[in-house]
Amino acid sequence: MNASLIGFEIAVILLGLGLLMLDLWTPPERKRGLGLAAALSLLLVLVATFVVPMPQDATGFSGGYVFDPLALFFKRFFLVAAILVLVMQTEFADRIASGISEFYALVLFALAGMMFAASANNFVMLFVAIELITVTFYVLTSFQRGRQASLEAGVKYLILGALSSGFLVFGIALIYGTSGTMSFPEIAKGIEANHDLAHQGLFLLGIVFVMVALGFKIAAVPMQIWAPDVYQGAPAPITAFLAVGSKAAGVVLLLRVLLTAVPDLAGHSAKLLMTVSGITILYGSLCAIPQRNIKRLLGYSSIASAGFLLLGLSALSLNGISAILYYLGGYLFTVLAAFLVICIVMRYTATQDEDISVLAGLHQRSPLLATSLTLAMVSLAGVPPLAGFFGKFLLLKAVVESASNPDFHSAYYTLGAVGILGVVISLYYYFGVVKAIFWSKAPADLSPISLSLPARLSLYACIAGMLFLGLYPAPLLDLTDGVVKAVFK
Amino acid sequence: MENALFYIFAALTLLFAFLCVANPFSRNPVTSAMFLVLTMISMAGLFVLLQAFFLAAVQILVYAGAVMVLFLFVIMLLDIKEEERRRFNRFAIALGGVSVIGLGFILFSTIRESKVGAGLKLTAVKGSDTAALGKALFTEYLLPFEIVSVLLLVAMVGVILLSKKDLK
Repeated sequence: MNASLIGFEIAVILLGLGLLMLDLWTPPERKRGLGLAAALSLLLVLVATFVVPMPQDATGFSGGYVFDPLALFFKRFFLVAAILVLVMQTEFADRIASGISEFYALVLFALAGMMFAASANNFVMLFVAIELITVTFYVLTSFQRGRQASLEAGVKYLILGALSSGFLVFGIALIYGTSGTMSFPEIAKGIEANHDLAHQGLFLLGIVFVMVALGFKIAAVPMQIWAPDVYQGAPAPITAFLAVGSKAAGVVLLLRVLLTAVPDLAGHSAKLLMTVSGITILYGSLCAIPQRNIKRLLGYSSIASAGFLLLGLSALSLNGISAILYYLGGYLFTVLAAFLVICIVMRYTATQDEDISVLAGLHQRSPLLATSLTLAMVSLAGVPPLAGFFGKFLLLKAVVESASNPDFHSAYYTLGAVGILGVVISLYYYFGVVKAIFWSKAPADLSPISLSLPARLSLYACIAGMLFLGLYPAPLLDLTDGVVKAVFK
Repeated sequence: MENALFYIFAALTLLFAFLCVANPFSRNPVTSAMFLVLTMISMAGLFVLLQAFFLAAVQILVYAGAVMVLFLFVIMLLDIKEEERRRFNRFAIALGGVSVIGLGFILFSTIRESKVGAGLKLTAVKGSDTAALGKALFTEYLLPFEIVSVLLLVAMVGVILLSKKDLK
C-alpha cells in the first residue's frame, strides 16, 4: 500500500467535504462565491501536480491503482476541465433554486471518480470509479428539479446508465470467471501463458460487454441514444462536464482495458472498432443537421467526436493513441468555451428553450462571447489553424498510416474516407451556428452582456488553448508521444 | 445431488426474475417486489451451493430483508394505480423481445461451446469464508472499498437534494 500515490484524489475529496461543511456557515447571498473558491483550490491542486515529485511508474493498493504518465496526463486533464466547469457553475448559480454548495461539491466528487478512473488497474477499481462518476451525474443532470426537461434527462440517464452498469458487471463476471483474476496486467500474463484463453468465447464476450459499458460512457453507437436528450435537459455546466470529463474517463478506461489487459485481442477487435467508429461518426454528423436546440446539437456533435476518438483506437498504433490524447486536449478547450458562452447567453435571455436563434446579434451584445463561440465552432468543425483541426488531422493520419497493414488495407482507407465525410458534413451545422451569430435577420434583443472577471479569464484561457494547440502543436504532441511510449511499449 | 439443486435454484431464480419484471397475471408493483424477494432467496440458494455461506446469509438479511422493505415503503408511498393503468408500447415489446432473444442466443451458444473453468486454478478459502472476505476487502480491495464510501455519500446528498421539499 502506498497512500501518497492518491494524494491528489484525497485533496479533491477533502475539498468536496469541506464545501459541504462550509455551506453551514456561509450566508445564502455569499454561497455563490464558494464555487470560485473551489475553482481556485483546484488550481492549486493542478499546480501541485507539476510541483510535487511523483513516481514515474508506480502501482499501489495491491496493484489496483497505477500512477504512470497516462494517469497523470488524464488527472491534469480532468482538473482543468473541473476548474472551468466550476466557473461555469457560478455563472449558472442563479438558476438553481436550492443546494448551490452541493452543486459544486458533487462536481468535485465526480472529479475524484474520474481521477481514480485514470489510475484504474483492475476491474474492481474500474467499476467503482465508473459508478462514482455515473451516480454523481444522475443527481447532477436532474439538478434543476423545477424543469421537466432536467428531470427527464435525469431519469433517462439513470435507466440507460443502470443498463450499461448491468452489462459492465456481467462482463467483469465473465472475465473473472474465465481468467481467474481482476487485474489488467495479470489478465495479459494469463493470455500469454495460455493462448486458449484469448479464444474462449466467454472471455471474449466479457470483453465485449465491458466495451459496451464503456461505449455508453463515451456515447458511441449503439449506446448513444441517451446523449442528445441528456445533453439537452441537463444544466449547461453539467452537460459540459459530461461531454468532456465523463467521455475522457471512458476513453482512458477503454485504453487501459484494450491495451493493458488484452493487448493481443486489440488486433482481433479492429474490425469491431472500425465499424463502430465509422457508424458513430456518420450518425452524429447526419443527425446534427436538423437540430435547432444548441445543446442538442452539441450532443450529436459529441457523438461524432466519440467516433473520431475510436478512429484513433482502431488504428491500433501508438500514433493513433497519441492522436486521441491530442484530440482530447483540444476538445477540452473547445467544448468548454462553447458551453461557457451558452451558459452566459442563456442567463441574459428571457426564453429558456436554447434555440440557436437566441445567439442572433451576439457580436453586438458581447464581442468576446461571439469570438469565443465562433472559434469553438470553427475548431469543432476542424478548420485550420485551430486545435480541432490538428486533432482530427492526427487521427486521420494515424488511420491512413495503418492502411499499410495488408489485412485491413481497404478497410482503413474506407474508414479514413468516412472520417473525412464526417468532417465535411459537420462543416454545415457548425457554420449554421456561426451564421446565427453574425448573419441572422432582425435580432430581437441587443442588450449588451457584461461578463464577470472569472468568466472572462476562463474564456481567454479557452481561446488561448484553442489557438496555441492549433498553431504550436509540438509541445503537447511531444508530451502525448512521450506518455504513449512510456505506457504502451 | 448438487447438480440437481443447482438446476432447481437456477430455474427458480430465472422464473421469479421474469415474474418480477413481466408478470402476465398482475401489474401490481407490490407483487413484483415480492417476486424480487423470491429471486434474491433463490440466489442465496445458489450461493450456498458455492459454499459461500456468509454471502448467502447476507443476501437474505440485507437484500431480501432490509433493502426490500425500503423498496416496499417507496412503492406504497407512490401512486401505484398509475403504474397499473399504463399500457405497453408494442414497438418497445418487439424491440425488447428481439434484443433478449439475440443476447440469449449469443450467451447460450458461447456457453455451449466453451469449456467453462478449464485450466483455471482455484485456491480453496482457508478458514471461514467470512474472515477471507473481510481480509480481501481490507487489504487487496481497500481502495475501492473506501471509494464506495464516497459513492454512498454522493447518493445520500443526492437523495436529500432531489426529494427535500424546500431547501435554502
